[in-house]
Amino acid sequence: MLLTLILLPLIAGALLFLLPRTDTQISKAIGTLVAAATVVLAYLTRTDEVRIHWLSRPFDAAFHFGATPVSFWIVLLLAITTFSAIIGTNVREQRNMIALILLLESSMLAVFLARDLLVFALGWDLMLLPVFFTLVHWGEHPETAWRYFLYNFAGGLTLLFATAAFGVINGSTDVIGGNAHIVGSWAPWIFFGFAFAFLVKTPVWPFHTWMPATYAGTPAPMVSVVSAVQSKAGLYGFIVICATFLPDYMKQYAGWFIALGAISLIYGAVVALVQNDVKRIVAYSSLSHLGLILVAIFSFNAIALQGAVIYIVAHGFFSAALFLLIGYIEQREGTRTLSQLGGLGYVNPKLAGALCIAALAALGLPGLGGFVGEIVILTGVFKAGLIWATIVALIPIVIAAAYMLRLFQGIMNGPEVPGLPQRSDLTFIEGLAIAPLLTALVLIGIGGLR
Amino acid sequence: MTIPFTQSDWNAVIPAFIPAITALVVLLADLVARTHVKRYVAIVLGVIGALVAGVFVAKQYGHPYDAFFGGFLTGGFTTVFEEIVLAALAGSLVLYGAIGREDRIAGVVALMSWSATGALLMAGAANLMTIFLGLELLSLALYCLCGLADRASARESALKYLVLSSTASAFLLFGMGLLFGATGSVMLKDFVNPALSANPLFWMGSCMFFIGIAFKLSLVPFHTWSPDVYEGAPIPVTAFMSVATKAGVLAVFARLIYAALPVGIGSKLLLPVWIIAAISMIVGNVGMLAQRDLKRLLAYSGIAQVGYILTALAGMTSQGLRYAIYYLAAYTFMNLGAFAVAAVISAQTPGREEAGSALSVYEGLGHRRPVLAAAMTLFLLALAGLPPTAGFLGKILILAASANAGYAWLAAFLVAGTAISLYAYAKVVRVMYGASFDPSRLLREPQDPQDNKNEGAPQDDKRTVVPLAWVSVGVCAIALIVMAFYPLAPSGVLPLVR
Repeated sequence: MLLTLILLPLIAGALLFLLPRTDTQISKAIGTLVAAATVVLAYLTRTDEVRIHWLSRPFDAAFHFGATPVSFWIVLLLAITTFSAIIGTNVREQRNMIALILLLESSMLAVFLARDLLVFALGWDLMLLPVFFTLVHWGEHPETAWRYFLYNFAGGLTLLFATAAFGVINGSTDVIGGNAHIVGSWAPWIFFGFAFAFLVKTPVWPFHTWMPATYAGTPAPMVSVVSAVQSKAGLYGFIVICATFLPDYMKQYAGWFIALGAISLIYGAVVALVQNDVKRIVAYSSLSHLGLILVAIFSFNAIALQGAVIYIVAHGFFSAALFLLIGYIEQREGTRTLSQLGGLGYVNPKLAGALCIAALAALGLPGLGGFVGEIVILTGVFKAGLIWATIVALIPIVIAAAYMLRLFQGIMNGPEVPGLPQRSDLTFIEGLAIAPLLTALVLIGIGGLR
Repeated sequence: MTIPFTQSDWNAVIPAFIPAITALVVLLADLVARTHVKRYVAIVLGVIGALVAGVFVAKQYGHPYDAFFGGFLTGGFTTVFEEIVLAALAGSLVLYGAIGREDRIAGVVALMSWSATGALLMAGAANLMTIFLGLELLSLALYCLCGLADRASARESALKYLVLSSTASAFLLFGMGLLFGATGSVMLKDFVNPALSANPLFWMGSCMFFIGIAFKLSLVPFHTWSPDVYEGAPIPVTAFMSVATKAGVLAVFARLIYAALPVGIGSKLLLPVWIIAAISMIVGNVGMLAQRDLKRLLAYSGIAQVGYILTALAGMTSQGLRYAIYYLAAYTFMNLGAFAVAAVISAQTPGREEAGSALSVYEGLGHRRPVLAAAMTLFLLALAGLPPTAGFLGKILILAASANAGYAWLAAFLVAGTAISLYAYAKVVRVMYGASFDPSRLLREPQDPQDNKNEGAPQDDKRTVVPLAWVSVGVCAIALIVMAFYPLAPSGVLPLVR
């Protein structure tokens, strides 16, 4: 059943290419059904495990899949955001876009369900390809595709190198979820190989430069999945790989990583405050939020780690919702420049309401998912004795309120901008796409993850 | 006088002789065949010859035998390299069938088969004479093949290859002479003598020998001929040359370093080779960045790929040899596949045999020919070492082997080189899938007037054999994906090297 979960989107995605090129509705229907099926399967297979032997030399490796307590939530998040992305897709050459989203889902399922480091690395490289093709084909600037590709594959290569060295030293890469421990002269290199890949993917300042352009240039359905889930692969890697197998080095260099996280926190928030492109505001806010999670992971506190997992999931839901909603606005009004938008809330109350909930979740309003993650992280980081990190982490929460309200008010409130098409409100299908994301945010806000 | 060889000696070289005999049969058949079936007769006979030879080779697997008093070894190691050469032969013949000219096809099939015979001999060669015999047989046929097309660049290619390759042969021969002087024997197995490590003649001789090898493998700084030669030669010849030559020479090199070096001097003697491999990985990949021609791009890519294979061999572990062979097999399929795509494109562009080599032709291929573009993408991903292909697994196996053998610095060069190469391979992908495709640009593309000479020449029905080239594309693609999940690295190869 677990294999079905991973292979279903892969096969469905590949088969979609057999449909006529101009098709929009059949591919969307198939994509939606498959994505819905993966949601159900992801829930049903939370205790399953599959192991198919792959290599026995130079080290043991296997196609070993199975959800860990951390990855279960991320997989569920992935399945739900994929569903939302596909059902609300409306781009040119829709068939290709939906097929690529399904392929992306499959490769990311492989990453998060992998119990084997080599399979993790395989999925890691694989999940970059659909985004690269999207940027090549739908992207706004050709350079964006290069930046994304070269940055992330450089990370992928160091990951590969670290995986190979890990396998040689440990004799097996079938370790995720276990408690292998790497020591020796190779260990720091392995650690930095992993860490570089994870830092680039998250991204963390100063490796973030590919991210704003990529998020801004990718069509909304794809970017909602990428920002919600793909960016979490790095953080997930820190939690399940670095913290388990190389804890000594993680502790040794924790100060540096916390510093990088704190810089991302502040830098992302401040830059988000002055952006004029709505997508870039959300992109930089992601940089800021993910920096907070990095700080939490490196504070080595059980509570902070719990908070990190909650915030990973909550951030996934609200950033997916924000990107999708911005996509709908851009489709209607033909622009996503903040200064050219305004007063849409009078005509589009449903759209405004949805955007309002997503933005409030992003700024950390109690009762919604973002708040739970933030407060648990801050408590944990404080308990770990990192007073300064806690104080630094509080500042961007204030700034977040500023840029999120600026975003919401700039689009929905204020005088109506003359010349805007001001098209109709959210359709039923679009509402169906957003509803699960907002519901999840409310549920996490009330009950956390359990 | 009695002939000292037994039946088993001849049996060992039968696979090498089958392509040679096939070549004669093809030439004879061409004389009697009617014009419109010549193409099919030549290609079918040539491919059948390669397949039959492949069956004979496969039978020898696991049955090591020293034929001709150790002059030609059969068994695991030889078998694998011979199969790679034969795969390259069959794949390239099919491509020539799709784009070649009818009146030349028999000659090309014959030459290519003879060339393969040389490579097959090199795969099993265990004395200096057989090595040289094989190498010259391989090269002589290739000189003719390179000059085949009616273009000035083809003549340039052939002449350049002739001159530079002969220079390399001279180095190799000089080195062999010195080695013979040092050891008094042409047998590789006599080089294992530890007393040789103090003999300056041996050091001189092996250095000369390695320079010759580096020339043939087009390693930096002996690489400058390969882009020019590849560019000028017809696509199928380039495909064959890029794989078969490498397989043959690498077989010789691997046998030499694994089985024929005095104990204890390997790491010192071979250090320059590894350094050259490291530089090749960087220079080859950087060289790719600026290319606008697929064949030149793949030539530079080949320079770097040989560096990857040598990385696996560094340290001379049995693991390393296994993964070098695995990667070489994977490289065979990715390279042949890429050339097969180029051949399909050329075959369907009337009047231009080499249409598939200019990168501008690939513009918008993803829109016009989605399947072909997808196949090409797969081959490029494999060359770049990305999943879901054998290139990914090959890279990680090489990394593991070299880290294990204590050559982590070479592995670091491999990672750096790969990072550079991504841009070049992705450039082709972007050309194919870019959104800014404008069909009218194809017409405006400036053409080299000399390359267009036979534009008005009457066209024969080239399309008829294109399905075979498609088969080649499909086989390569499937092989790459299957190899990624079932690593067919043959076990127990090392004992059979000696």
